[in-house]
Amino acid sequence: MPEFTLTEEQTSLRDLARKFARTEMLPRAAECDRTGRFPEEVYRKAHEIGLMNLNVPTAYGGAGLGLVEQCLITEELARACSGMTTTISANNLALEPIVLGGSEEQKQRILPPFCGRYNLASFCLTEPSGGSDAGALRTRARRSGDEYTLNGEKCFITNAPHADLYTVFATIDPELRHKGITAFVVPRTAVGVVAGKDEEKMGQRASSTGTVRFEDVRVPVADRLGQEGDGFSIAMRTLDQTRTPIGALATGIAQAALDYASDYALKRHAFGKAIAEHQAIQIKLANMAQDVAASRLLTWQAAWTIDHGQRGTLESSLAKCFASDAAMRVTDEAIQIFGGYGYMREYPVEKLLRDAKLTQIYEGSNEIQRIVIAREHLRAYA
Amino acid sequence: MEIAVLVKSAPDAETRLRANAAGTGLDTDGVKWVLAGYDESAVEQALLLKESVPGSRVRALAFGPSPRSEEVLRAAIALGCDAATWVEQPSDLAVDPILAARALAHALSTLPSDLVLAGKQSGDDEQGLVAAAVGELLGRPSFSGVTDLRFDAAAGRFTFSRAVEGGTETGAAPPPVVIGLQQAWNDPRTAKLPNILKSRKAPIDRLAWAGVAAALGEHAAARSTAARFRLPPPRTGAKMISYKTPEEAAKELVRLLREEAKVFP
Repeated sequence: MPEFTLTEEQTSLRDLARKFARTEMLPRAAECDRTGRFPEEVYRKAHEIGLMNLNVPTAYGGAGLGLVEQCLITEELARACSGMTTTISANNLALEPIVLGGSEEQKQRILPPFCGRYNLASFCLTEPSGGSDAGALRTRARRSGDEYTLNGEKCFITNAPHADLYTVFATIDPELRHKGITAFVVPRTAVGVVAGKDEEKMGQRASSTGTVRFEDVRVPVADRLGQEGDGFSIAMRTLDQTRTPIGALATGIAQAALDYASDYALKRHAFGKAIAEHQAIQIKLANMAQDVAASRLLTWQAAWTIDHGQRGTLESSLAKCFASDAAMRVTDEAIQIFGGYGYMREYPVEKLLRDAKLTQIYEGSNEIQRIVIAREHLRAYA
Repeated sequence: MEIAVLVKSAPDAETRLRANAAGTGLDTDGVKWVLAGYDESAVEQALLLKESVPGSRVRALAFGPSPRSEEVLRAAIALGCDAATWVEQPSDLAVDPILAARALAHALSTLPSDLVLAGKQSGDDEQGLVAAAVGELLGRPSFSGVTDLRFDAAAGRFTFSRAVEGGTETGAAPPPVVIGLQQAWNDPRTAKLPNILKSRKAPIDRLAWAGVAAALGEHAAARSTAARFRLPPPRTGAKMISYKTPEEAAKELVRLLREEAKVFP
């Protein structure tokens, strides 16, 4: 049986993240949500104290943390602001294809200089015509001699307007479907890379999301990850690694909603007593507490499974899907407990619901997660 | 320069404190222990001096029970201290500030130190005695409530400021000295994640209590104990004034201030 007690090392990492979240992120969360400002000073500081590039091995300049530690940190950060957390975590998503699919030469050449200073990266898979059906992507890579020419457009790309490096998935032949997908590392400075403007989003507004167009971008063969046709597998294995921290991120949002709602329920009075003493509110809080605890445990289970060398496809889908759906339920109930105040932007809970919504959509929509869960589940019976 | 910095674990400011069943101290069950603010400032000061005087080394020392004392030492190492010494306090040993000072002075007597730094008081008991008593026991001058401590290499002495009633006092003293620092004037740094990971593997020197007790002889026991420990009574609720018009509310407020709070004659 796994232990549920954190080691002293895990506790100190969680405490570091909690301190950073409270002192640097939380005081700016409402302002960045209101204005959509991208708080670069927070991200620079996150890099400075080592809270970025958590998944990159230390040999290549990253923190080299396991998924359990990544999840502990992610939950704490997201408890303060999930939008900022998405920006910080997007590097993990963008760099994981290099960690998983890159050659030793590529890792040595690309990762240490990238991780050594403040840089952002973007994972470029989704396109305007489709995201979940990754086998159908249209961005083309045509080889000629020692280089490829990339043409196409990616959308909903986290960090896109600010990234220094893109991991791009393109097809060498759409007829080949997923067998034609190939992964490339493209620097922002490459001629023909056009990062679009920030999109206006419903939530997670401190993060930056935009399009990236590739117009005759020449990429040397040396910057292809793996072989032609390896891209789909690299993307899927990357998502197997990064899906679980989304469960942690959603848990952090839900925990914040539960914190605010519990505090408010103890202070707000109706009919002569604190509303926390009314059973209707107690039942809500009890359900919310169950959702938060179950989200955290599923997340830890997935992280533990993957840290122990298994692929964890089922476990990570269970965690991501449950925790993000739970975050929607919990943030919704938090607003209900706050009543009219909860609907007002002056109070912190409506932001949490808008933020939570994204967790059901990105890094594999929950519809895709359910397909995965059902497939993995039924495999045991077939 | 050899710098020693004394650190102590104290309950995290967000911990909900309770008295123990006997009513003689804090119920430590479930308390989260951290490096408290005054000591964070002391560590920061030690590191600033280390950075300004080439070749300096900083050693953190803690007297207290396990495991929380080793944990604050690891926190100090993660912040940048070079070495750490844990002076063991058996968990069932009653301690007062003078015993703590004696144990730490004993440890310091075996180590080189041009400067001993500490928070001017601990983050929990706040007696403010240890740094001064360590100075007395080591036969060194000590200063408390210090801010802006620097080393004047040309003159070979420390210069510092102290906030005093109505102004600032400046002072100077050659090493070796003992300094108790004011809290939070130097914006303590945050430990970086890789340094936290490294601090887990850092060695911590241990001075076993048996040896310390033997050295302290008849002084190896606390002479004072807390007779009673209680938390401040919970604050009573605010009084809400019900009213129909603002004039009515103001009238009632003035009446209450005069008749109940008695702030007006």
